Formats: sequence, structure tokens, C-alpha cells
Amino acid sequence: MPITRRSVLTGAAAGATWFAAGLPRPATAESEPIRIGFLPALTGPSSSTGIAMNRGTILAVDEINAAGGIGGRKIELITRDTQSDPTKAVNGATELTRRQKVNVVWGPLNSGEALAATPLIARDGVPQLDPCWVDTLTDPKKYPLAFRNAPTNHQIGGAANRYAVEVLKLKKVAVIGDTTGYGTASVDTYVPMLGQIGADVVYHGETDASNPDLKPELLRMRDAGAEAIMPWSVNAGFLSRIINTRGEMGWDVPIIGQTTLGSGQTKALLAKPEYWEKVYANNFRNCCYDQSGKLSPHMTDFVDRLRAAKIEIGDTLLWWIAIGYDAPNIIAAAIKGAGSAPEQIAGYWSTLKDWPGLYGDITWTPEQHDGFPNDEVVMCQANSLRDGAFKLAPGYGA
Amino acid sequence: MDAPAPPRAPFGVTEPALVRPKSMATLEMAAPYIGLTLAAICLPLVSDDYWGGIATRACVYWVLVSGLNLVVGFAGQIAIGWVALLTLGAYTASVLTAGTATPELSPYLALILAGSAGAIFGVIVGLPALRLRTFYFAMTTLGFATIVTQVALAWGSVTGGGVGVAGPIFPGPFSTQWGFYYFCLILAALCTWMTANIAASRFGRGLIAIRDAEVAAEACGIAKPVLLMTVFLFSGAAAGVAGGLFASLQSYITPDAFTFDLSVLFFIAILIGGRGSILGPLLGTIILTVLPEFSAPLVAWSTFLYAALLLLIVLAIPGGIAELLDYKNRRPLERHREIVPRPDLLPRVLNRTIEAGPLILDGITLSFGGVRAIDALDLELRPGEVHGLIGPNGSGKTTTLNVISGYYPPQAGVARLNGIALPPGAAPLRASRRIARTFQTPRLIGGASVLQNVMIGGTIDGHGSFAESLLALPRHWRDETRLREAALSALSVVGLAQLGAVRADRLQHSELRFIEIARALMLRPAFLLLDEPAAGLSAEEIRRLGALIVAISHHGTGVLLVEHHADLIFDICDRITVLNLGRVLAVGTPAEIRSHREVVSAYLGA
Amino acid sequence: MLESIIAYGLATGAVYAMIGVTYNVMFSASRVFSFTAGVLGMLGGVLGSLFILRLHLPAALGFVATLAAGALVGIVTEIVTVRPVLKSLDQHLYVLSTLAFALLIQQFTAIEWSTEPQPFPRLLPLPGGPLDQQFWLPILACAATIIGLELLYRRTLVGRAFLAIAEDSYAARALGLPEQRLRMASYALAGAIGALAGFAGGEVLLAFFANAPMLNFYGFVPVALGGMGSNRGAAIGGLALGLFQQAANFLVGGIFASVAVFAVFIVVLLARPEGLAGAGTARRV
Repeated sequence: MPITRRSVLTGAAAGATWFAAGLPRPATAESEPIRIGFLPALTGPSSSTGIAMNRGTILAVDEINAAGGIGGRKIELITRDTQSDPTKAVNGATELTRRQKVNVVWGPLNSGEALAATPLIARDGVPQLDPCWVDTLTDPKKYPLAFRNAPTNHQIGGAANRYAVEVLKLKKVAVIGDTTGYGTASVDTYVPMLGQIGADVVYHGETDASNPDLKPELLRMRDAGAEAIMPWSVNAGFLSRIINTRGEMGWDVPIIGQTTLGSGQTKALLAKPEYWEKVYANNFRNCCYDQSGKLSPHMTDFVDRLRAAKIEIGDTLLWWIAIGYDAPNIIAAAIKGAGSAPEQIAGYWSTLKDWPGLYGDITWTPEQHDGFPNDEVVMCQANSLRDGAFKLAPGYGA
Repeated sequence: MDAPAPPRAPFGVTEPALVRPKSMATLEMAAPYIGLTLAAICLPLVSDDYWGGIATRACVYWVLVSGLNLVVGFAGQIAIGWVALLTLGAYTASVLTAGTATPELSPYLALILAGSAGAIFGVIVGLPALRLRTFYFAMTTLGFATIVTQVALAWGSVTGGGVGVAGPIFPGPFSTQWGFYYFCLILAALCTWMTANIAASRFGRGLIAIRDAEVAAEACGIAKPVLLMTVFLFSGAAAGVAGGLFASLQSYITPDAFTFDLSVLFFIAILIGGRGSILGPLLGTIILTVLPEFSAPLVAWSTFLYAALLLLIVLAIPGGIAELLDYKNRRPLERHREIVPRPDLLPRVLNRTIEAGPLILDGITLSFGGVRAIDALDLELRPGEVHGLIGPNGSGKTTTLNVISGYYPPQAGVARLNGIALPPGAAPLRASRRIARTFQTPRLIGGASVLQNVMIGGTIDGHGSFAESLLALPRHWRDETRLREAALSALSVVGLAQLGAVRADRLQHSELRFIEIARALMLRPAFLLLDEPAAGLSAEEIRRLGALIVAISHHGTGVLLVEHHADLIFDICDRITVLNLGRVLAVGTPAEIRSHREVVSAYLGA
Repeated sequence: MLESIIAYGLATGAVYAMIGVTYNVMFSASRVFSFTAGVLGMLGGVLGSLFILRLHLPAALGFVATLAAGALVGIVTEIVTVRPVLKSLDQHLYVLSTLAFALLIQQFTAIEWSTEPQPFPRLLPLPGGPLDQQFWLPILACAATIIGLELLYRRTLVGRAFLAIAEDSYAARALGLPEQRLRMASYALAGAIGALAGFAGGEVLLAFFANAPMLNFYGFVPVALGGMGSNRGAAIGGLALGLFQQAANFLVGGIFASVAVFAVFIVVLLARPEGLAGAGTARRV
């Protein structure tokens, strides 16, 4: 079909009109609701985080609205399930920013999806809060409106690596990830980090998370002389199969790695409960039991509120629910403190210091958009799971 | 439109009223495309950016589907795993602009290279189609899809592995959302135009012939390997380009963005749209891209929805949307149609001189497994004669035709035309030696029009290349005009020109037989092999068939007539060969054969 | 390492072989390659887990229920996707109708059951070890299937009737055989065999909706290599495939193993399109 001059002129006129109208602006009028766009993966292989964070987010929004909203404005939570698929995450993000014209985007909650969606959200000038750990997601220059309320891969891996090498005093380590963006990025980041603290990485690689048989990989690790297995994946099936295979082989080495190692979903897939011994997972100080077996007063109160609202915690991780809960609250703080325009929210966040979240105390600066403090990343003992929280791993400093 | 033409059209009418003048037909065909283009151009005026993104996605998908349409819809190859090429194109374009393996290239160059990579890989993926049957080929494409994804995962230093790589950003006016939309729209429109050109060319018809009537296609000289590989080349290139656009649309690609669901979407869009159509799959692609976006819960069920639609289409409307839109072919045909051939119009069709000598079979022996079908067969077919071939069932008549046509290589013996041996077992080469035939059961393309079916007969007389048809260059139009006129003439000869626009599967058995003859005449054959052409015809039709055959032979064509209707044989044949149990029983004039003792006892009865 | 390769290889290979047999039984009855073979295997695992773990049925009852469900799915496949298509002139439509039906079942399972592999129950209260039940259960099921089918086809009247409609359906009908009912019965049998494959292999493959496309492919390879319609060829091909796949897993690791399998499959098919057993080509013209 030939493009005639007329059609080009028509198209150009249309384009010019659009430019003149300017970028779409979200509602800032006094009575309009605050719209939070939410991009969890509620279905699909990487949905364990999404399902749990969703529970916390919904509770927080309900509580804020019950107390009258933010300065009289109710919160409207607009959720789009990404189905663990980056294509759907992109579609969902575009819908939230352009059609729903949300004030802020919370998520996506998985790295592969966030990598695709973040540039698009930034291009549309919408503030974004993201809990993913992949290092490249925040960049104050490229994405000035994007903030991370969680640790980075570096912080997470650093804690696990230090536990293996400095606390347990092991030298030869096997690092394995699944083939998602998160798994691959983690393995790529952690192997050199281990080298820098003096460990010897005798095995590293990635496997498809749905591979039913991980015995070849573990046998290769054992043959290489590994003294610890460090898995990085959010896929409960994958992690449980590593744990089960270690148990079936009767191979007595510690498993040190991703937080999902300790989740209720992983526990449900274990062949024998005793397989869960000597499994140490990342976690966060606020969500772990102290020496006397108690959570902090704030956290205890939160768990009580969860129970009262009949929200399930036994099959997942407490810190996921906690970070999901913190997100609307930190958004609300910005809007209350500065206003709901994008530059107001971003401006408030970029000078936030020690904001007391349930999950962790968040600090941001204009040059540092990763807000989680280093010393709050800890290792915990997986089989001490009780109500979604854990005891600190043995030998771990206070 | 189906107003009946008078039984005898006045001599000299070349364009029966029922086949529309070309200009009107073109406008009618182009109308939906013009409408869609206008709607697409005006989209920014009436909708928001979100739908713009969806529309861009539909354009990108259509660039891929338009090419795949030629493979699946026209050539009938079940390429389910075509997402492999989207993946390849996306990664090629992204890696080249990101500079992880080569110095950073301009996005436009990267896009062209993505298309080239797609073209090469398209041929590789398509090669098994030449050797394998449908289901097996489908499985190999699935295998390729997995291989490409796994390589993308494993080759981390270049592709970023599981982390992925950023997609290309096109500079200048195309970097904004609507700018990029227009870029994709232009490419989509270009692909629509190009594939529509192919559809209306001898290549498009050739593809459909391979799909639905492969044996007849070979008899018309259509070489499957070359045509199929050309189409895979083009289709792969389109998919590669679509991949580059997809990567730009996604802004960032990881291996898990290229799901099996996406492959299924492409495949189903073509089938819902209808095979052999351009407009149908175009609408199908738009519908399947847009449909899930209407409601968020629908997104999770989208593949389920696609599958349900596919099942519905296959069971209820196998022709898809195209069939629904084909209102022309829903108008009733005249009930009591007569077939009135016009042998006097033959000079327009058979305007050539025959220098060919006789067709000679020399000691042909062919066995199937342990059964000897024909045994040391000698046959001489002279130009301008009507030669009958008769015998009881199982005597080897059709097998003889098939050996001459080149479908079965004989174990012994040679067939010669003009002293030059006919290459055994090479059926597509017969057309260029001007040997044409019809088949025991009519082998026509039910879903194509009568005119298209007949035009297929003249495929080898086209001069334009695939590329010229793709771009609608002058030689393509000259070929088309010439083929069209020749086909109309051939149809006039068999008396069916008024049914030219009708879909072939709507016609009666006897009409199909005559259409096959028209198709065979397109080759201006030196020799015409007819396999039981009178089967299923009425007495009057048989008489008219006989007159037509005689007229054809008077124009210099040698006719080999395999038949069971003894009356027809004895009426029109100059000589008759009688076969029994694969051997020649007798050869001679009808009078000699009728009184031959052995023939009478073996075959004719008392 | 070798024992692990052999144990896992034979176990998964036996499952692949049984899916191949499922393809063969459906093909024999109708000359149709159905995309539902892999889905039946997946359902064997999913329904087994559903009945025994979630609904707490005793293992034996769950087993019977799973096979019955498989047979039912087979019958529905025949009625909805095969019978209407056989009547039409375009034979290739069956690829599309069975594909659509298989996708429907697969997607429904993904959404309603789970997108994650779910645990499969331990069927027999026996201790584990190198000769664990997860290895010999599928092999036992495969052997029983092959022997059972041989007995059926050679010794019983029904079996010979199945063979008759496979050879020449027109002649069979002329002899008075109820072709339609026999075809439905064949599909029911195929459904039960597919479900058996998934159930017996459940402890190795788990209850996972994505087993469907995986089994579709890996179950087809034995048929392609062993020759269509040959159950013995499917058995040998399946076991060989399982061993090759596990060996590749061990030697080159996960990603390259699947590339190796696919590449070998494509190369072998191109060299011998009719499979290694090699059936003759039918008359074309």
C-alpha cells in the first residue's frame, strides 16, 4: 500500500497535536484518589514473592484507607499480574503509566520483568519503587525517579559469602543458579566476590529450574570437592530439589543461599523434614527471632495484626509480607510529606533518612537510590521456621 | 453476479461478464486494506498511548505473521516453532546495537542484519520440510525453538544469558512512542503489500498447489524444493526484522520473553484468518493481539482463549475469517449447468507448431514390491493421433501413465521423446517437455477459484522471478496478464469461462474433469495424457468430451487416452493398445482390436 | 555416576517409550498423530497427585481413577478433535484440532492446578535407595504395557479387530466391524496408557503442567526413530533416548544436553525420514 503524501501529513498533524498536549499528568487534585500501580507476578514460575508481597500490600492499603487515606485522599491499588513474563510486565507497566495514569508504580517484583519495565516507566516520568535485587535496576542518572527499598545483589551475596568463608571457615564452594535473569545475574556477581574474599569456586553454573533431576549437578559439585552449596533462585521447586538430592546422596555439606530456601513453599516440597538441616538462608534482622526467641515489638505487633486479618504466613516468608506492607506506607509518607507530583515524591525520597520500615530502615540520597542498610542483611537457619520468621544462623554475630 | 451467460457466447467475446474487469476487482480487493491503513494512521487522534503500544505490537507481530503466512497458510507447512526466528532476530539486533560482540552498529543496519540472519536461519529451519511429513516437521521446528532459546541462555558473554540485553532504540523521529508506531506501521504495510503481490502471482498459486494438490503441481512443472526454500528465506527475513522491532518495543529482552505461547499466537492467527488469504491472517493477528487486552483477567487466560478459538475454527469454519468474508462464493450457482466445450476456440490456446517426434516407450518394466505392474512394455504415441490404452483393472494402465509422467522410475526400459530420453522419476521436468496430463480423480485446489486452478497449469511459462513478483515489477504484471488471458481462453475452450471466479470445491464432478483438461491445455502440450476422463460423465458430456479430444489432436497434440468406456475409445481413437497383466496384448486400429481373438476373450467379452 | 545415569535414564526413557506407545495406538486407530499424547502423560502425574495427595484417596483407588480419567480424555479427544476432521477432505486439520485441544487442557491445568511442579505421592511404603521405586515403577509399567498390547493384538479378538481397522478401514467396515466404536476404544486405551506413563513416572517427573509439551516432544522421538506404529521400536527408542539424555546431562550439563538431544533428533530424522526401523512409502499417485 503506498503511503500517500496526504496520509503522511495527516499522521504528522496527529503527532503534533499529541506533542502539544504534553505528557500525561496524573491526578493531583485534592479529592482525587492516589493511584498506586502494582506489578506482582501472581502466577507463573516466579510467583512466590508476588503472592506474599501482595498480602502485605493489600493489608497496608486497607489500613491506610480505613484511617482516612492520605490527607483525605483514598488509595486506589491497581494491580496487573505479570504472570512471571517480561512481555506481560511491559504491557502491564505501559497500561499503568499511560492509561491508568498512576501516581507511582510499585514493582515489578521479579528481576527479569523489572529489567524490561524500568526503562519504560522512567521514560513516562512516573516514580517507581522496586524491591528486586539485580544491581543494574537503580541508576540515579538514568532513572532519577526509581528507588529500591531492598538490598542489592551485592549486599545479599556479600552476607552469604561472608558466612560461608569467614564464619563457617570453608574454602571450596559450589555456586548454582537457575536460568532466570535473577539466577544468572547472581551467579555472575557472586563468583568474583567469593574470589575476592579468598574462596575457591570449584563449580559454578545455571540449570533450568524445572529440571527434575539435579543429581548430575550435585555429583559434579561433590567430585570437584565442594564444601558448601550456594544456590540462587526464587523457585521453590528448584531449591527443594537441591535440598532433597543432597539428602538422598547423604552428602553432609551446608547449603547457604537465597532466602527462598527457608520459605514454607520449599518446606512443603521436601521429601524428609530432616533434609532441612544445615540450610542457611538470607534474611533480614527485623524478621528474625533474637536470642530469647522473640521478634521485635513492632514485628510482634505486625504478626498479631496479620493473624487477626487471617492472612496466611506459614506457607511463605515473613519478610516478603513485611516489604509488601512497607511499600504503600513509604509511598504514603512521601505524598503526605511533599505531595503527589512525580518530582515531589522523588524529592522526598531522595532525602529520606532511616525511615523505620517493618522490613528495614530505609535511607536514600540523591546519589544513592539503594536504601537498605548493609548490617541488616543476615543469615538465618531455615529449619527454624516459625510463623514465617527464623532464628539467626549458628555462629552468626549478633 | 452469477447471472447465467447464454449457452453459446458469441465468438470473439474474451471477457465473459462474470469475471469482473480487472480495475474493479482490484479496487474491491484493496478496499479493506485502504480502510485499515486509514484507521491505523488516524489512531493517535482517537486513542491514548496505551492502545498505541498495543497497536505497535500488532504491527510488529504482523511483520512476522505476514511472512509466516506464506509458509503456513500458503505452503501448508506446520511451522509451530517459528518463535525461534523472532528470538534470533531480536538478539541479533540487540547485540549488534549494544556492542557486546561487535562494535556498536546503527540500529537500522542492525535491523537489516537481523533480517539477513533470519533469512539464513529460516532456510535451515525449513530444510527438513523437504524430507519429512507434516507432523514430523512440526516437531523439528519446536526443536529449533528450544535450541535457539538455550543458546541465548548459554552464550552469556554475548547475549547476557539469563540477564538479557537492552533492545535497540531507533533514533530521530522514531524514538518517540508514536514515531516508533509509524515506523512499525510502514514496515507492516510494506509486508502486506509484498505478500499480497506474491499471493496474486504464480508463486503464490504454486505454493497453494504444493499444499493441496502436490501431485498435480508436479505435473505442472512446479518444483517444490526451490519454491519452498524461497518462501522460507523470505519468511525468515520478515521474522528477523520483526524480532529487531520486538526487541525495541520491549526495550529489554531476556530468553524467557520468547515463550511457546507467542509461537502459538502467530500460528493460530494464520489459521483463524484462513489459509491462502492475506487479509484473513492480518485481521487474525490484530484480533489476537488486541483481544486479551480488553480485560485484565483475560490476559491470564489468553492462550486458553486462542486454543478455544482455533478448535472452533477448525471444526466449524475451516476456512477461517477469510471464508466468512468470502461472500462472493456464498451466492448460489445456477442449478442445471451444462458443459458446452468450444473446440473452435482451440487455436487461441494451442497456437504453436509441434516439431516433436513420437513419444516412445521401450521395454518399460516396473514392479511394486513383489508385484510386477508392467512388464517389458512397448508403446508408440504419435503427434496428432488419439491413442487409446485399455485393459482390465490392474493391467497397468494408470501405472504406464505415471511412468510417462515421471512419478515412478521404471526398473528397466526407457521412455523417449524426440529421441531424447525422459529423465526417470523426475515428474516436474515433464512440463517443460510439453507433456501434460489429467488424473484419475480430479486433483484441484478446492479453496482456490477455477481461474486460479487453470492458471497454475501455465506456471512454467512465467518469466518473472520471485523478487520481481514481491515488488510488483513490470515483468510480474506482464506474466499475470498473459497467464490470465491464456487461462480464460482455455476455460472458454472447455465451456466453463463463466465459472472462472467460483471456488472450485463448489462445482460438480464433471466440471472438475473439464477444468483439469483446461489446466492441461495451458501447457500447449505436445502430448496430452488423459486418465479416465469420462468417468462419472453423462452420455452427452462424454460425446462432447470426445469431440474436444479429437479437435485437440487435430491441432497436433498426441493424446494418450486411458479409458473404460469402450464406446468412446472405439469412436475417437486412431490406434489402440490393449494391456493385460502388465503386458501388451495387442496394438492396432479400432477395427483390428474389436475383432482380435485374445482381446475379446480377455477383456471385451463375447 | 554410571548408576545414576542408568537409573534415571531408564526410568525417564520408560516414560518416553510409553508416550510413544500412546502416539502409536492413536495413530493405528486413525492415521492421526495427536498432540494430546504428552498432555495425557502430564495428566497422569497431576491427577495422581490430586487424587492421592489433595483428596486423600488410597493409592490404589487414585491409580484406577487416574487411568479412568485418562481413558475419558482419550474418548473426548476422539469425538471432538479426530472424528469430525477425518470426515473432511483436508487431512492435515487433525494437527490443528488436536493441538488446540491439548493446549486447552494444558492451560487449564496451569491456571487451576499450579504453574509450579507439585509433589507426587510416594506410592509404595518401601524404603529408598539406588533401586528406589521411582526407577523401577516406570520400567515395570512400560514392560507391562508392551507385553499387554502384544497379547491384546495377537491373542484376543478385540485386538485383532484393532489391527484390522488400522490396516484397511474400508475392508474392516465391509466385514461388519464397528469402526467408530473400535476407534473410540483405541483412543480410550491410548488415554489410559498415557495416564499410566505419567502416573508411574510421577515420582521422577512430579506433577507439573509443563510436562505436557516436554513429553509431547520426548515421547514423539521414539516414534520417529522406531517407526510409526511399532511399539517395540518405541520401547527401544524411548529407553535409548532416556539414557542418551541423562548421559548428556552428566557430561555436558543441563543447557547443552537438551540442545544435544534436539540436534541428534533432527539429524537422524533427516538421514532416515521413515525412522531407523524404516517403513515403506505408500503409493502417491
